[in-house]
Amino acid sequence: MKTEDNKNISLDVARLVEKARTGNRVSFQELISIFQEDIYRLAYYRTFSQMDAEDLTQDVFEQAYRKINSLNDVQRFRAWIYSIAVNRCNDFLRRKKYLALLQKGSSLEQDIMNTGMNMENSTNERIDKKKFWGLVKVMLQSLSAMEREVFTLRFMDHRKINEIAAILDKNESTIKTHLYRALKKVREHSDVFREYRESIS
Amino acid sequence: MKVRNHDHLQQEHILWAVIDESELAGEYQQHLRQCPVCKTKVEQLRSGLEDLGEIARQAVPSYTRPVRLPSERVARISQNAGWLPFFGAAAMAGLLVFFYFMGTKTMIPSEFATLQSQESLLEDESLMRQISEMVENPLSEDMYEISGENGIWFDDDFLQFVVPDIQDDFQS
Repeated sequence: MKTEDNKNISLDVARLVEKARTGNRVSFQELISIFQEDIYRLAYYRTFSQMDAEDLTQDVFEQAYRKINSLNDVQRFRAWIYSIAVNRCNDFLRRKKYLALLQKGSSLEQDIMNTGMNMENSTNERIDKKKFWGLVKVMLQSLSAMEREVFTLRFMDHRKINEIAAILDKNESTIKTHLYRALKKVREHSDVFREYRESIS
Repeated sequence: MKVRNHDHLQQEHILWAVIDESELAGEYQQHLRQCPVCKTKVEQLRSGLEDLGEIARQAVPSYTRPVRLPSERVARISQNAGWLPFFGAAAMAGLLVFFYFMGTKTMIPSEFATLQSQESLLEDESLMRQISEMVENPLSEDMYEISGENGIWFDDDFLQFVVPDIQDDFQS
């Protein structure tokens, strides 16, 4: 049933992409409404900042709109837009890292503070979320850039291995190897997250 | 390598089972299907990772800014662009008034008075020049020619011709 739904969504997306390629703005707007949340989350998982994630989401769709005619296979739209998003985020983080070198103090604490401040919920919830993102950051920082990318796409963005391979333009066995290395490093954290979930539920 | 039931899967096999069960060798896959201990380990790791994804999804602050396509933003400006020329003209007029007042206000009063007296002196001087010219040459150029005071010399023979002496007439 779920597979059938996914198939229908893929067909819809392909149809919308075909129309968008002819300059149909309404179709592109529909594509935005389908992928906007996913792309925003993807950007948030990498920047931990609502404002930056929103800016990046805007950039991603602007770039996609300008270059939609360069997409040869309409069936690959999802992988294509994800790869634009991943590249945009990496560019942004590189720039941020470079700027952080010029500034005093670590940006990590500040980022986590901002993450907490951005939340519009109750104080307890805010503290919980702050704590959660703090754990995620520590966990992701223990990984190499590629391991982090593959791990985030698989377990946070919920992409399948073949999709990740298409997004990162690598073969599936390479993705699995990086995933294996990443899991080996973060294994103990998975218990932490389960306990964390039990504690807040 | 053969796997016996009492030899549970090692950590690396558990990890591979989470990534992709089909990557495990046949005997490990079979062991996993039969061994509740190993199955639990795989399930625990898998559910821990699912929890991570689920909490992350819930912990992301909600999206507040809708995505706009590039030309839409341009169009938005052009729709409201009618006020732009008026705004520009008003700003220009404002600047002119500002600089005019700034120019007069910033001038020191004593400097301003000196400037005024210098202007009136120049005016007087020009008037005096005109008066002295009129004293020296009271007639206009045409009248001056007729009056014979413009330096044209008439000799006695010419005058005699134009106006002969009365005495001569008597003699003849």
